[in-house]
Amino acid sequence: MKKLTLLFLTLFLFAGCSDELNLTNPNEPTTDTFWQTQEDAVKGVTAIYAALLNDGTYMRMIPALTDGRGDDFKADTPWPDLWQVAAFNIPATSGPVAWVWDGHYIIIYRANQVLQYVPEMDVEPELKERLLGQAYFLRGLAYFNLAINFYEVPLVLEPQEPSEYNVPTASEEDLWAQIHSDFQEAQSRLPVSYNDVTGPDQGQIGRATVGAATGMLGKSYLYRERWSEAATEFEKLIDGGPYAVYELMEDFRHNFDVDHENNAESLFEVQFGSIEQVGGSVANYGGEPNGNWQQRSSIAFTYSPEGYEDFLVTDWIYQAFQQEMTVEGEFDRRLQPTIMSREYDETVYGHEWNYPGDIYPRKYTNEGLPQPELREDSGINYRVLRFSDILLMYAETQNELGNQAVAAQYIQRVRDRAGLPDRVAEFSAFSQQEMRDQLAHERALEFAIEAIRIHDIIRWGWFDDPAKVEELRQRDSEFDSWAPGKQYLPIPQDELDVNPNLEPNPANN
Amino acid sequence: MKKATFYATCLTMFSLVLLWQGNVLAQQVTGVVTDESNDETLPGVNIIVKGTMTGTTTDVNGQYELNAPSLNDTLIFSYIGFQTVEVPIDGRQEIDVQLSPVSLMGEDIVVVGYGTQQRRELTGSISSIDGDDMKSYSTSDPADLIQGRVPGVQVNSDGQPGAAPNIRIRGVGTFGNNSPLFVIDGVPVGTSIRDFNPNDITSIEILKDASAAAIYGSRAANGVVLITTQQGTTDTPLQVEYSGYFGIDEVWQRMPVTGREDYQMLVNEGLRNAGMPLVAGNDPNSPLYIDDINTDWQEEGLKTGQRMNHNLTFYGGGENTTYNLSLDYLDSEGTLVGHGPDYERYSTRLNTTAEKGIFKFGQSFYYTYTNEKALNYNTSELTGGRPPMIVDLVSAIPTLGLYDPSVEGGCAGTDQTIHRAIVLNVPCTNQLLEGETNVSRTFASAYGEVDIIDDNQQTLTYKISGSYDRTNVRNVNWVPEFVQGFFFSNAAADLNDGENTYYTGVVENTLTYDREFEGNHDVTLLVGHTYQRGGGIFRNGYAEGFPKPYFKVLDNGNTKTSSGSENANALESYFTRLNYNYDDRYLLTATLRRDGSSRFPEDNRYGNFPSASVGWNLHNEDFFSLPSFINQLKVRASYGQLGNQSIGEYQYIGTINTSIPYNWNGSKVFGATQTQVVNTEIQWETKTTANIGIDARFLKNMFDLTAEYYSSTTSDILVAVPIPNTTGAFDPPTVNAGELRNSGLELALSYNKMQGDFTFDISANFSTLKNEVLALGGNDEPIYGVGTKTEVGGEIGRHFGHKVEGIFQSQEEIDNHAFQNNGTAPGDLKFKDVNEDGVINADDRTYLGSGLPKYTYGLNFTGQYKQFDFTVFASGMGGHKINSRIYRYLMLTSDYLNYHEDMLDRWTPENRDTNIPRRVVNDPNNNGRDSDREGWLQNGTFLRINTVAVGYSLPQSVREMVGVKNTRVYFQVQNLYSFQHYKGYNPDFTAGTFEPGYDNGSYPKPRSFMVGLEIGF
Repeated sequence: MKKLTLLFLTLFLFAGCSDELNLTNPNEPTTDTFWQTQEDAVKGVTAIYAALLNDGTYMRMIPALTDGRGDDFKADTPWPDLWQVAAFNIPATSGPVAWVWDGHYIIIYRANQVLQYVPEMDVEPELKERLLGQAYFLRGLAYFNLAINFYEVPLVLEPQEPSEYNVPTASEEDLWAQIHSDFQEAQSRLPVSYNDVTGPDQGQIGRATVGAATGMLGKSYLYRERWSEAATEFEKLIDGGPYAVYELMEDFRHNFDVDHENNAESLFEVQFGSIEQVGGSVANYGGEPNGNWQQRSSIAFTYSPEGYEDFLVTDWIYQAFQQEMTVEGEFDRRLQPTIMSREYDETVYGHEWNYPGDIYPRKYTNEGLPQPELREDSGINYRVLRFSDILLMYAETQNELGNQAVAAQYIQRVRDRAGLPDRVAEFSAFSQQEMRDQLAHERALEFAIEAIRIHDIIRWGWFDDPAKVEELRQRDSEFDSWAPGKQYLPIPQDELDVNPNLEPNPANN
Repeated sequence: MKKATFYATCLTMFSLVLLWQGNVLAQQVTGVVTDESNDETLPGVNIIVKGTMTGTTTDVNGQYELNAPSLNDTLIFSYIGFQTVEVPIDGRQEIDVQLSPVSLMGEDIVVVGYGTQQRRELTGSISSIDGDDMKSYSTSDPADLIQGRVPGVQVNSDGQPGAAPNIRIRGVGTFGNNSPLFVIDGVPVGTSIRDFNPNDITSIEILKDASAAAIYGSRAANGVVLITTQQGTTDTPLQVEYSGYFGIDEVWQRMPVTGREDYQMLVNEGLRNAGMPLVAGNDPNSPLYIDDINTDWQEEGLKTGQRMNHNLTFYGGGENTTYNLSLDYLDSEGTLVGHGPDYERYSTRLNTTAEKGIFKFGQSFYYTYTNEKALNYNTSELTGGRPPMIVDLVSAIPTLGLYDPSVEGGCAGTDQTIHRAIVLNVPCTNQLLEGETNVSRTFASAYGEVDIIDDNQQTLTYKISGSYDRTNVRNVNWVPEFVQGFFFSNAAADLNDGENTYYTGVVENTLTYDREFEGNHDVTLLVGHTYQRGGGIFRNGYAEGFPKPYFKVLDNGNTKTSSGSENANALESYFTRLNYNYDDRYLLTATLRRDGSSRFPEDNRYGNFPSASVGWNLHNEDFFSLPSFINQLKVRASYGQLGNQSIGEYQYIGTINTSIPYNWNGSKVFGATQTQVVNTEIQWETKTTANIGIDARFLKNMFDLTAEYYSSTTSDILVAVPIPNTTGAFDPPTVNAGELRNSGLELALSYNKMQGDFTFDISANFSTLKNEVLALGGNDEPIYGVGTKTEVGGEIGRHFGHKVEGIFQSQEEIDNHAFQNNGTAPGDLKFKDVNEDGVINADDRTYLGSGLPKYTYGLNFTGQYKQFDFTVFASGMGGHKINSRIYRYLMLTSDYLNYHEDMLDRWTPENRDTNIPRRVVNDPNNNGRDSDREGWLQNGTFLRINTVAVGYSLPQSVREMVGVKNTRVYFQVQNLYSFQHYKGYNPDFTAGTFEPGYDNGSYPKPRSFMVGLEIGF
C-alpha cells in the first residue's frame, strides 16, 4: 500500500509541469516581428491611405459635414446629425462629428508609425524617402482637415506610451506650424510622378506627389494669410514652375466621375472603388479593417435624389450660376455637372421628376453616367485638390499682394473652361475688395459641393461681419441658428470627457 | 397503459419498456410515521420496498399498511422536506418510523467545490436552491432559475425565447464580464449554460464569499454557481418519469402611442413651430394627404407565442451501479410576427456511476441541439444602426400600411416626401430576413477514484477526472432583395453562413486525506492540480447576388468571400484546502490556490489566492445554554481573495493588421499596420471579500434564518478604460484599472408548517447592495456610459445629465436665464446653470440618480392541501432609476416617428401647465439631451409575480388503479403581472456594466398560461 501511495503522489506531482501557458496569437504577426522589411514599410504606408476611405474621412462625413454648412447646400434629411451640423447647432455628443475626429487621428497614428519605424529600417534609400514623404503628406492633410474643422486640436507626432495619451490641445500657431512642416517634409521627398520611379510603387497612380504636397503647402499658407509664401508654392505648379504638370480638364464633369479619375487637373484624390471594381463584402465605415472591406464612397447615395437625398442645393447658388451666361448664351458649363434642375434636365436617372420643385446636387453622383446609383456604393474618387483651386488661390494671393491684373488672368483661365466671357480687362481694374467679392463668386461656382465653401467663408472672416452673416442668412436659412463659434464642429464630448488636457473649442458652447 | 396513449407517439414507445412488478406471497407490514422534531404524525409519506415498485403512502393519521414480498426486505421512507430513511424489516410486521426534517441544520448535504459538506460544517457563504422549487418557473436558460431565490443574486433578463440573462452575485464586482463561473457536476463550463436542460438539475449551490469559492480561486471572483444533475439510485429498478407542459405567451403590456390624427397633428405642430413646410402625407391640403391608414403596429407586430416542454427520465441502479438517462424537448415560439425570436432545444443526458472495492468511477454525457431564431436587427442592410426591433416596432408611424405588393419584398416603406420618417416595417421585415443559430454541444466528463488508504481512522482518496466541452455554433443570416421605402433596401440578396467552434478540455487530479484524531478532531486535507485548455475557431462564408427562385446556400451566390480566425487559452492551477472540525463546535477552512493564465504576460502570469473561514456552533456548547426557543445557532466569518481573468485572448500582445485594403488604379492592395494599442503589463484582477453570518433555527425548528453581511473590494480590475481617440486606436486596451467596493446585507427567512392537512412553506429573501468606485486607473478619468458617468467616490454607472428647472413661459424668461441656444423659445426646457457661468453646456451636467437597484428581494409560498398544491413566487428590486430608450424615442428623438400619448400634454401657448416641452422639429434647444426631465429617468422599483401555480395530485387509490406512481397535473401562470412605475416593458432588462439603468429596448416578457403534467411509472 505504501508503494501505491508513493506512486500516486509521484504521478500527481508530475501532472503539473508544463509550459503550456505561452500561447501566441495565431491570426496576425506581432509588433515585435513587423517593421523589418521593405515590404513592411510599403504596407505601412498603404495602410495610411486606407484610412482615407472611412466614414469619418472621405467616405462620407468630411464631404457631408463640410458641404452641409455651406451656403450652397441645405439639409433635407431625417438624420438629426446632418441637419444639426448644417444648422450650426450640432451637440458635441454627435456620432458623425466624433467619426471625423477619430478618422483623422487614425490617419495620424498610422503615419506616425511609419515616421517612427521606417527611418531605421533597411529600405532602398529613394523608396524610403518617397514612403516617408507620403506619410508626412497624409499626416499634414489630416491635421489640415482637423484644423479647419475643429479650430484647435492636440498634436500627436509619434506612437504614444500609455502615460502620454492625454495630449493637451495645441495652440493654433503650433498646429499650423506642424501642418506647414509636414507638407514641407513631404515636398522635399516626393516625386512629380510615380511613372518614372523604380521600386514596388512604380506606376501606382494615386500616391501623393510633390505636386500634391506643394499645392497643400500653398493652400495651408493661404489659410494663414501668408500670401507671398502661398504664392511661391503655387508658382511651382503653374506656368513653367518645376512641378507644372497640371492643366484644366475641358469637361468639368470629368473631375467628378469614375471614368476620368487621376486626371491632369487632379493634384490629389482619394482612391475609391465600387464593389464591382475592387470587391469586398464588409462596408468600410470604420472599425477594425479586414481583408473583406469594401472601398466604396457613400457620398453619391447620400446626396442623390435616387438615394437618401440628405441635402438639397440652395436656390441662391442655383441663381448665382445664372448671373452670367456663356459666350454662346448658354448656362455656365459647370451648372449642369454641379446641379440637377428641371429647367434643363427632363429626367433624373432616366425617369420623370417626382418632386419638380427640388434642386438636387449632381456633383459626385452617378446621375447621367453609365453606372447605376447603387446604395452607398460609388467608386468615384474624391478629388481633394484640383488645379483650378491652385489657379484661383494663386489669383487670391495676387489680389492680396496688390497684383489685381495678375489675379484677373488666373480667374479668367478658370472662367474660360466654364465658357464665360473674357473680363480680364474689367477685373484688372477692380479694387482689392471688388476682386475679393469676384473671387468669392468665382470660387462658389467652381467649388460648390466640394467640401470647400464653409472653409472659405470662415477664413474670409465673414462670420465676424454682421452684414455678411445677414447675407448668408438670406442665402440659406440654416445660418439663422448660427451663433459665434458654431461655424466649427465641436470637439467630441467623449474626448473632452476622457482627456482632461483637452480644451473645448468655440463650437462646444 | 391505456391511459398513456394520449401522449405523443414517442412517449408511448418509451412507455413500452416499463417494467411490471407483481406481488407474490406478500407479507403485510404496518406502522405509523411521525415527525422527529415534534412527534406529530406525518400523512402522505412515501414508502416503497427497496428494489421493487411496491409501495404505499401513509394516511391522514400517519399510518401505513404495506405488502412486502418478504420480511427480509428493506423499506424506504421518503417525504418532501424530510430525510429519507431505509429500515430493514428484519422479520418485523410492525415498524414505527420517525423522520427528521431535511432542513434541520446539520443534516443537510451541501455540494461544495471538490466535494460535499454537511451544512452544519459550513463556514463560508453558500446558498442552495432545491431543484423542485426552481422548476416552478419555465425558461430556456437554467440561469433564470436563480432569480429571486436567494439573497445577493440579481438576475435580469429580456423576454424573447433564448434570451441570455445577466447574473450578478453580490453586485457589480468588476467592469468587464460579471457572469459567475458555472460548474456542472464538478466541471467548469466555459461559455453560456443556456444549452443545458433545467429539468436535469437537482440542486444549485451558489458560492458567494471568498471562502466558499476559493477553491475555484482564479475564476471565482464573480461567484460560483454549482449545478448538480440527477443521478440514479442504487438498488432501484428502472423508474420512468415524464413531465411536460404546454403554454401560450402573450405580451400583456402595450405602449400607449398616438393614432393617425394625433400623430399628424403633433408632426405638423413641430414643423410649424420650426417655420418649416408640412410633410405632404400629413398636410390636409396636399393631394398626398393620408387619411385612410391608421396602423396599430403593436397589434400587427405582436402575436401569441407558445411554449412546450417534454421530459422523460429513466433512472435506477444495481447494488454497485447507478444510471440516469433523460430526454428533453423544449420549444418556445416568441411573440413577434415573422422569423423569430424562437428557441428550440433537444437534449439528452446519461449519468452513470459504478464502484467496487476501493475503485469507483462515474461518467456524464450530455448532448444538445438547439435552434434559435434570434431577433435580427443588426443586419447591415438595415442602414443606420437600428435600435432593437421592439423600439422600431413601437415607434413606427400610423400613417404607413404593412404591405406593398408592388415593391420587391412586399413591405410598405416610407417615402421621403410623403412621410419623411425613417420607419422600419418590423412585422414585414421580420418575415423577409431570416436569421438562425444552431448549436450542437457535447459535454462529456468522467472520473475515476481509488481509496489508497481506507481504515477506521483515515482515508486517502485519489481522483482523476477529465472533461471535454465542445460547442459548434452555426449562424445563418439571409437577406433577400427588397426595397422598403426611401431608406431601406437591398439590391443583391446575401447570405452569411458561419460556424464557430468552442472547446474546453480539463484534466484534474486531486488527493483527499481525511482523518479523525482522538478527542473529536476531524481533519480533511485536499490537494489538487488542474490544467485547462480552451479556445475557439471561427469561420464565415458570405455570398451575394442570388438568382431567383432563391436557394439559400453559399454556392448560389455570384460573389463569395470567406473569413476565419482562431484563438486559444490555457489555465494551470494548484490548490489545497484544509478543513478542521473540533467536536462540531469549532470549524475552520483554509484554502490556497495558485493559478497561471495564458492571458497574462509571463512575468505576471501567476496569482495566489488564499482564504480562511471559521465557524462556531453555539448550540453544541456545553458551557452556556441558548434560550430554549433557539434550536440551532451558528456564527461564522470568512476572509479571502479571488481572482478574475475574464478577458479576451492575447490582449497583452500588440499585433499588426495585415489586411487593410486600398487600391492603386483599381487594383486592390493590402496595407499593414498596428491599429490597436495594448497594455503589455496586465495581470490578475483580485477580489478580497470579508463575510460574517449567522445561521439560526428556532421555535421548534419551524423558522430558519440566515443573515449575512459582506464587504468586498475588487482591485486591479481588468477593464478597457476609454482612452482619447487622439491615440488613433479605436478600441481601448484592457488594463488593470480601478477598484470597486461592494457591501450588503443578506437575509433569508423561511417558515415551514409541516403538520395538518394544510402544510406550507414560506420563504423570503432580501438583500441590499452598496457599490462604490474607489479608483479607475490612470488619472482616474471618469468613464461615461449612455447617459451615465462612473467616477471615483460614487457608484458605478450613475445617471448623468442636466437638471431641468422647468419650462420657459416667455422670451423674457429665456433672456434672463443662462444662454442655452439661439433657437430656444417659450415651451423649451430650462436647464440649470450648475456652474453658474451663464452658458448651458456639457459642464452643467450633474448626477441624476442611481442606475443600480439598492435592494432586491424574493418571496415564495408553496402550500399543500390534501391533493392540491399551490405556489406563488414573486420577486423585485428597487431604489434605482431607469433611462428608457423606447420612451425617449416616443417622446422626442426623431421628429417624424410616432409619439407616446404623454406627448399630447406637451407645452403649447394654451397648455402651459405641463412639464413636457413644446414640439419643434430639429429640437434647437436640445430638449432631448440627458436630463432629469419628466420621463427621462423613471422610478425602477417593481414587484413581479413570476409564478402562480395550482396543482392536483391523483390520490393513491386512483393511481393504484391506473398503475402509475406520483401523478400531478397543474395550471400555472408565469409573469402574471408586474407592479411597476416604469413606462417601458421590462423593469428588469439586461444592461451594460457602465449603464446599468439604461434600457436599450428590452424585448417584453410575455405572460404565459401553462398546463402541465408529471407522471411516474
